[in-house]
Amino acid sequence: MSVTDRRLKAVVMDADQIRRSLSRIAHEIAERNRGVDDLVLVGVFSKGDHLARRLAAKLAGLEGAPVAVGALDTSRHRDDRHLREPSHRAISRVPDVDGKVVILVDDVIHHGRTARAAMDALMDFGRPRSIQLAVLVDRGHRELPIRPDYVGKNVPTSDTERVEVLVEEEDGIDQAVIVVS
Amino acid sequence: MAVGSRLTHVIESQQFSRSTLEELFARSEEIKREPHRFMTRLNGQVMAALFYEPSTRTRLSFEAAMMRLGGWTMGTDNAREFSSTAKGETLEDTIRIVSGYADVIVLRHNEEGAARRAAAVSSVPIINAGDGPGQHPTQALLDLYTIKDELNRIDGIRIAMVGDLANGRTVRSLAYLLSKFKDIKIWFVAPPQVAMRDDLKAHLTEHKVPWVETEDLDAVLPEVDVVYQTRIQKERFTDQEAYQALKGVYRIDNRTLGLMRKYAIVMHPLPRVDEIAPEVDADPRAAYFRQAHNGLHIRMALLDRVLG
Repeated sequence: MSVTDRRLKAVVMDADQIRRSLSRIAHEIAERNRGVDDLVLVGVFSKGDHLARRLAAKLAGLEGAPVAVGALDTSRHRDDRHLREPSHRAISRVPDVDGKVVILVDDVIHHGRTARAAMDALMDFGRPRSIQLAVLVDRGHRELPIRPDYVGKNVPTSDTERVEVLVEEEDGIDQAVIVVS
Repeated sequence: MAVGSRLTHVIESQQFSRSTLEELFARSEEIKREPHRFMTRLNGQVMAALFYEPSTRTRLSFEAAMMRLGGWTMGTDNAREFSSTAKGETLEDTIRIVSGYADVIVLRHNEEGAARRAAAVSSVPIINAGDGPGQHPTQALLDLYTIKDELNRIDGIRIAMVGDLANGRTVRSLAYLLSKFKDIKIWFVAPPQVAMRDDLKAHLTEHKVPWVETEDLDAVLPEVDVVYQTRIQKERFTDQEAYQALKGVYRIDNRTLGLMRKYAIVMHPLPRVDEIAPEVDADPRAAYFRQAHNGLHIRMALLDRVLG
């Protein structure tokens, strides 16, 4: 699915804004956790995976120590699994999370159902000491009691809109856009 | 003049509650994204711009804001020299007359307290667009909105206010607004001759906002999310030698940018002289032109709220 199929309503973040938001989130993560010891970043496939890697690189640069990164496929844990076509699945890569502080990373949070599925999926790999959530865009309309700890940008939206994050690794451009279907 | 659900006069930044600010910012965001929806909001309404002191940006952005909402504007740029003031008319009388012609008056005056005096006799809302060294609340609104837009939050912000803090009304108004938020920390970086005035520091202490006074900009830069640079205001110095001694003590350039965090932003109320080197403009952290642009949307949101 590409943005060109639908009506582009607004660009809410450009490449510079995304880069600076990720830098800020990296600082916030390091400050809140007093460094990067025992920290593991886990991105939700597929956009969250790229964002988690970038955050890990920024954190490593800030703190001078490597940060473990993983990626999660949440499809088996989704609550709408019975409603969706079976899709091509990526395979989760998750480092040791027992006793670690895991930062889940995703591009957009909306209803909060993906975040819930990601927490569930993560628990299959161990027992983290705590889980924090970082997202590039929070578009509101939560249906579950979940609130991200780190947010790049809050973007108020209506139900008829969609927020899409394009990343250079997949789309050739860094951009967050609102589209109307 | 309390600000509840309805705004009347806009005199000083302290009058805005946190929830009013958040509503204004949300409206501003909406206007920025879909301006066409607001094109006829203020059809038929008239704004008078009474400027007793020169201003390009503030006046043009108010006029543009009114016209983009479908309203009309009229005004004078040199109310002091060419209006009845030159004949000895008091501000109060001028306001009484003009409030019969317009639905809202935007007032810029050289004396502190002028907006409050105008509000006391006006039959229409007064919006303070700067009263001497007093306040400039709509600048503070757009400054605060810029911080939120750039950094996605206001709570927890660490900000350095740099330059002429004694005469800078924008930093005063902004500091008052910031005191309504949580976990704010402010550094005042200024030469002692133009240090932040005591009344504002007392206000911050009373509201439990930690503040630090220093002359060492380099030491502060790595700590902060926002560098709010201001111009040493030549026009407020009687002694030009004192001005020459102070101008250029703090300058943001590529070297100082190197000390700042990668996401931190540089703000400036503009106009700038040489306190921000032109080479800084190309850095994505230079937020001052985006800040100026935000002035249009926040003023549209404000006019919409006062008149809509």
